Amino acid sequence: MDFGFGEDQELLRATTRRFLTEHQSLADVRRSMEEADVFDAGVWRRGAELGWTAMLIPAEHEGGSVTDQPLVDLVVLAEELGRELNPGPFVPCNVVADAIARFGTEVHAKEHLPRIALGEVTCAWCLSGDASPDPSAVEVRATRAGDGWRLDGVARYVHAAGDAALLLVTAVGADTGGVVNFLVPRPSAGLSERVLTGLDLTRRFAEVRFDGVSLPGNAELAGGWPVVERCLSLATVLQAAESVGAADLLFTSTVDYAKKRVQFGRTIGSFQAIKHRLADLLIELEGMRAAAHYAALALGDGLPDADEAVATAGAYVDDAFAHLSGEALQLHGGIGFTWEHDVHLFVRRAKVNQVLYGDGAWHRERLTRLVEAAAAPAGGA
Amino acid sequence: MDVIIPPIPDTYDAYRATLRSFIAGHTPTLQWKQRTGLRVPDDKADVELLRTYARAVYDAGYVLDRFSTGRGDPYEQRILEQELGAAGVPHVLGNPLVAGALKHFGTDEQRAVYLPPMARGDHIWTQLFSEPDAGSDLTSLQTRAGRDGDDYVVAGQKVWSTWAQWSDFGYLLARTEPVEGPAGISAFILDMRSPGVDVRPLREMTGTTDFNEVFFDEVRVPAANMIGAPGEGWRVAGASLAEERSGVGGGGGGADPVQRLVDVARRHNRGGRPAIDDSAVRQQIGTFAARARIQRHLGQRMATKAMTGQITPADAPLSKIWFSELNLEMAEAALALQGARSMAGESDELTFEDGRWQDAFLYARAWTIAGGSNEIMRNLIAERGLGLPREPRGQS
Repeated sequence: MDFGFGEDQELLRATTRRFLTEHQSLADVRRSMEEADVFDAGVWRRGAELGWTAMLIPAEHEGGSVTDQPLVDLVVLAEELGRELNPGPFVPCNVVADAIARFGTEVHAKEHLPRIALGEVTCAWCLSGDASPDPSAVEVRATRAGDGWRLDGVARYVHAAGDAALLLVTAVGADTGGVVNFLVPRPSAGLSERVLTGLDLTRRFAEVRFDGVSLPGNAELAGGWPVVERCLSLATVLQAAESVGAADLLFTSTVDYAKKRVQFGRTIGSFQAIKHRLADLLIELEGMRAAAHYAALALGDGLPDADEAVATAGAYVDDAFAHLSGEALQLHGGIGFTWEHDVHLFVRRAKVNQVLYGDGAWHRERLTRLVEAAAAPAGGA
Repeated sequence: MDVIIPPIPDTYDAYRATLRSFIAGHTPTLQWKQRTGLRVPDDKADVELLRTYARAVYDAGYVLDRFSTGRGDPYEQRILEQELGAAGVPHVLGNPLVAGALKHFGTDEQRAVYLPPMARGDHIWTQLFSEPDAGSDLTSLQTRAGRDGDDYVVAGQKVWSTWAQWSDFGYLLARTEPVEGPAGISAFILDMRSPGVDVRPLREMTGTTDFNEVFFDEVRVPAANMIGAPGEGWRVAGASLAEERSGVGGGGGGADPVQRLVDVARRHNRGGRPAIDDSAVRQQIGTFAARARIQRHLGQRMATKAMTGQITPADAPLSKIWFSELNLEMAEAALALQGARSMAGESDELTFEDGRWQDAFLYARAWTIAGGSNEIMRNLIAERGLGLPREPRGQS
């Protein structure tokens, strides 16, 4: 039994940390966050050389993982990117690459995967009108037009859509009412987006409009709703790992602050009221870590309890991160309320992660259904 | 990364079948109503039946590693834990905490004399650690053991000793050295039938008697019964307490408690519909389910860290808090789901599941307090895990 990272994964962690410290640290992200765009295509390409988008792509399409557990490799990367509140499209690129590798045709794979793996193309996933993972929330309609399709409607809160050259678009078929997924190049005629001002200052989200976007018949990614489910599971795990990395850094710096900050002639970390709150945050952080790591393992290796494991991560991790970041801010006192201090950037990141890829309530309902299915049916009263 | 425990090979089916039929043939029928938690029979005849059962199991060659200086076949050990655990009666009598102390600090002779009878149910053990004025602050314990020739003479009082009313031996911490604090403490094996030992059963808020007070009036203990060296008792205890905390962390057993809760929600109404259909209830169950799964994963991570030598001082306290608070909250939620029915007392015919949840709710406080209260656990996490300053000692 081994629930830790291997040597190769620790090496990947160290390399990634060094790279980010040198090329896109949180200080760098801070400098760019008040500009229109936070995405740095140059850094992204070099990150791709380190495997940021390659792990879930087969070797014949320029991909490859560090170990035979690519999802665990990705967790290492996600944690490191999370520590620096990286703005890049790490989650959507890997989600879209995985969807193409699993559900796409050979033509899709040849056309898109090498370019995603090399960092030449970044991706975004247009899920629904309010970002919730529910077929009834999908607001893009797909109408058959000759041999192809025509898309109309809107998707909102789409991470990195303003930088992406390839969109995965979840739509509803006008004829069947069922969910259909498409690969849409950007730019395309009739496709436009408005980048939102966001609560999370370190990432950019967009509202994407489809106004008669016409697509060839082979733009469809076969599979319907199960494609969305797979994408959601993967996004949930990767985002959870990112939250773990961010929470870990924030927690450590909060403990350091409590050891240094002196009031009433003692460090505030010597007060039991503070010590116990920090102890509770460590408990929360370790819970987040255990949930995220197990979910990655279970989903990656196809364990029988993968659905429960992913739902557990979704039900716990981002809500815990939001709580932890709020506590970290409170424990910093006045300095934490300033613009210059980084803690609010973590609070903002956490608040947004809470509502992406299914919020906590959505995952808790899912988990309850899975538990119900496993529980023996009700007996007599 | 891997948490898959290798499946037990088919070749062990015969071992399991033999064991299972052996257990079925020897499981005693007890008068005692069993409850959740570490509970103690209230009837001497039941204790004797359990001793006979433990003896039969041991004599048939079924010995758990915790009572042995060697290591059994790992698959057989797993099967043994599973089947004995499923038998419905306790297979470990008394508090076996001293086994770890003897393994790490005892002499060969002590191990040879005490481990086998402990496994065989011949010796029931109790733990003599806490005192009325030394609970969370255990190093301030005041029970003294003064050297007198080849003996130590013990005077003082202990409390919260599980199984003491039926025990043959006690695992005692007493002050032997003329210094305050941990350095003055030594660990002993104490014969509970020695003159001057007075055990007074303590009735707890559950209405049951799972703990005792123990008084020592000039009790003589041979110096050879010390575990480890004089003044080493705190280290001896620390090693075994860490084991207890991780054990407490894994406590419970039996059916998945979240599934039990689903059953409660299916069988009680809220607003004229089964409570399980209420979205607030579903959210609460989802939260518990996530926390219960994470509890398992924390245990798996701890096992990995133990193997790679990466255990931190925060790990065991963290698991203990996680488990004990979840356990309490789930018992509270189960009672709330039952509405006014939860007010029926444990023995009333109106209770659900024979009052299981009323008792679980009351007993849950044993987990949040025993083995070091959760407040002490938070101090340990903050001080030893995070390196924050220690609590100042007051002047008394």
